[in-house]
Amino acid sequence: METVKINQLHMDDLPWIIEYDESKCIQCGKCSAVCSFGAIKPEIEKRKNPSSNLAKPSYSKVLVIKQQISFQHHCRGCGMCSRVCPNGAIKAVRNINDRYSVRYRAAKADSLKKGGRSNLNTEGRTLDKIKIGRISQMTDPSLDAARHEFELRTPFGRILSADKLGFQLNNDNIELSKQLPPNRWIYPIIMGDMSIGAISWRMWEAMAIATAYLNEVMGLPVRMCTGEGGIPVRLLKSRYLKYMILQIASGHFGWNRIIQSMPEMTEDPAGILIKIGQGAKPGDGGLLMASKVARYVQEIRGVPRADLLSPPTHQGLYSIEESVQKMFLSMNAAFNFRAPVAIKVAASVTSVSVYNNLLRDPYNIVGGFFLDGLAGGTGAAHEISLDHTGHPITSKLRDCYLAAVHQGRQGEIPLFAGGGLGQTGSFAADAFKLICLGANGVFTGRLLLEIAGCVGNDVGKCNACNTGLCPAGIASQDLCLTKRLDIDVAAQNIVNYFIATHMELKKLMGPIGNSTLPVGRSDALITVDKNISERLGIQYAC
Amino acid sequence: MKKDKVIIKTLVDNNRMSTQELLQLITSKIDDGYTDFEIDACGQHNIGGSSWAKNRNEILSFKIKNPGQRVGAMALSGTKIIVEGSAPADVGWLNSGAEIIVKGDCGDTAAHCAAGGKIYVDGRVGTRSGALMKHDPKFENPEFWVLKNTGSFAFEFMGGGIAVVCGYDCGDLNSVLGSRSCVGMVGGTIYVRGPIDNISDCVQVINLDDSDIKFLKEGLNIFLSKIDKIDLFEELAEFTDWKKIIPLPSEIKEKKISVAEFRKNNWVEDGIFGDFVHDDFIVYPMPATSDGRVHIPKWNNENCIDCKLCLNNCPQNAIFQKDKNYISDDNKCIGCGICEAVCPKSCWIMYSNRRELT
Repeated sequence: METVKINQLHMDDLPWIIEYDESKCIQCGKCSAVCSFGAIKPEIEKRKNPSSNLAKPSYSKVLVIKQQISFQHHCRGCGMCSRVCPNGAIKAVRNINDRYSVRYRAAKADSLKKGGRSNLNTEGRTLDKIKIGRISQMTDPSLDAARHEFELRTPFGRILSADKLGFQLNNDNIELSKQLPPNRWIYPIIMGDMSIGAISWRMWEAMAIATAYLNEVMGLPVRMCTGEGGIPVRLLKSRYLKYMILQIASGHFGWNRIIQSMPEMTEDPAGILIKIGQGAKPGDGGLLMASKVARYVQEIRGVPRADLLSPPTHQGLYSIEESVQKMFLSMNAAFNFRAPVAIKVAASVTSVSVYNNLLRDPYNIVGGFFLDGLAGGTGAAHEISLDHTGHPITSKLRDCYLAAVHQGRQGEIPLFAGGGLGQTGSFAADAFKLICLGANGVFTGRLLLEIAGCVGNDVGKCNACNTGLCPAGIASQDLCLTKRLDIDVAAQNIVNYFIATHMELKKLMGPIGNSTLPVGRSDALITVDKNISERLGIQYAC
Repeated sequence: MKKDKVIIKTLVDNNRMSTQELLQLITSKIDDGYTDFEIDACGQHNIGGSSWAKNRNEILSFKIKNPGQRVGAMALSGTKIIVEGSAPADVGWLNSGAEIIVKGDCGDTAAHCAAGGKIYVDGRVGTRSGALMKHDPKFENPEFWVLKNTGSFAFEFMGGGIAVVCGYDCGDLNSVLGSRSCVGMVGGTIYVRGPIDNISDCVQVINLDDSDIKFLKEGLNIFLSKIDKIDLFEELAEFTDWKKIIPLPSEIKEKKISVAEFRKNNWVEDGIFGDFVHDDFIVYPMPATSDGRVHIPKWNNENCIDCKLCLNNCPQNAIFQKDKNYISDDNKCIGCGICEAVCPKSCWIMYSNRRELT
């Protein structure tokens, strides 16, 4: 007789249960064919027939689709099976009795890992509790969003106050006495910050194409941050390099090819972003599971196939002062002080100190401060970091902005905020509110994947970016999966989303009567939450 | 019907008549049958508007000096207004049929929302003039004639009617329509003589055809005689100097190349990863056959009892027999695993088809 033991993994332990209706199934096999996790399989089930002879029971065999019960092949709830089923005979249903996280740790003596965002959104979203409440009506005319001319560009690069510009009079001409720090006026939404390797080559290229298209066809000066997984040499040598912000993080991946390509570059990059930390897993380094370290990823990064764990900090940087000296100076020098150099840190209790230090840097070589909040996405992280470390973006962005305001130095190092923007569907609103709270711009990554076709969500659906088995071909390096992603559709969707967001930003700028970005216009915001009102210094309304 | 002229002086002994007093005085005179008014105004608003002769067949006429805003606002057909000199903002606002002649400049938003009548201006008009002009097809097309130039944002949201900007006496102005004019224009026609700069991209600027020239010739004659400047006709009737502005049809507005075309024509040839792999950019459907399969079956004959269960249950009819071997046709197989499931002897085993870019 077949028996089970109590510690054997059971369907009831898994986060998702396959609900299968045999009466509707035509045994076409499409569901099991498309499941990239191998979580369902056709199997023969034994059934007893009615029989009058007790001594001779009769059985029949039925072909059914069966959920696989294993740590490796468990269902992630991506729902590809129900997408392809012609009869609606199968679907993944969330298991409310899920004990997977306990069972996994107990069985494997290993920390849980996953991709996506934190699934433990206990605090709710501050941005959703803020409304744009100061609408110009009789007091001053609001602007027509569809037809008025708006200026949405924002500075990327160090801005000097008037007294530091160093003008001097030479005969009757006013001349600059020194070279000003590089500065570029760019679109206030920076995309990307996702590495080649974490995402598929098609997804990465789709973002790069969308960036070029938005610049050259739509006239929106959108910049893309490369993430730290190297950059294809063909892109480095192309004229499109000027739209790319090169990233250097603690792994220093891919810089060999960037440096090798320098003599052949025809354009400067849009800038350089030194990634110190990431909102999704602050204090932890990058994590690229071996399953995604494809041969071209090995080549471009200069590593063998292995789990690639970047150090949690930049080795060799032991203080902010040293960071300024070594990293910022070197990165500025790399492109002969022509490309702005910015820093990205995870939002943290200490972010303001870092920002203050950089503001005081006498060499003026920090051209942007990127703050990444805890709702940011990731290709792979330990669940413990993802769910339990980090700091919400909104109050920290506000703190940094007000710290600069108190010194009369707001805008000198442009602030960019990110981490979970667009999570509840309204990216333009999130961006706008953060800008009103003091951001000069925002950045987004995870949202772009959703735009391209990611099927996951923030309540445990899919989140398998770390496995390399992404059913949408976005976070995979597998030919059979990556080629599910239509590069043109993905790029077009991103372009369309930016066009829509552009309209929506104007739709918010118009009513408050701003034809330029309302940086720091917190008077435009209200909140129905007294604590938020007090913390952010915006009007309480009820 | 009383034929004598009503002459109203609105400032007597330093006492100024309010707008309400003036307008109510006019109304009471109209009720008494008067139709001809000469008003020495002192900035009173809305003169000549929303009034009509007691006998609707008669013409109500106003000769006004020194008016306030909205001369002829909401004026009806049968009203004729002449302003001796300039007039401030909103001349002919919501004009519904009056003839309004201004022998000087107009302030902002002249002819704003005008949907009837004719407005003739012997000078310049301010910002947003001609904005929201309309044409109700049951009534005559409104006309708005300007001898010199308009301010910026003119003809915004224009939905109908005809405007003529003659560009006379504009020196070296770089645009006789100011900046950002015609934003949101969806209907109507503007004729313009002289340079235009930074005009909205929702309109097109084209050359005149014969019917345009015919309209302008007749119209200029009338306009110039109304403002007593017929001697300018020769100079203005040089029709090669004129352009016509009409809304751009919406299908032209939309035309941008697709991202797919951009990738094929503008982007780095063969893609930026082209030195790693030649991506054919084929998109695999779900489920896919051959290389697009996630799982692939492999057969070994050791235990085969030739029961044909695999062959008969393959949903794609991908399995066939050659000699004693079972073969799955890669071009038909989707990798569902039913062959593996039904085989009583485990001859079919499913393997992962994971492959990488090489």
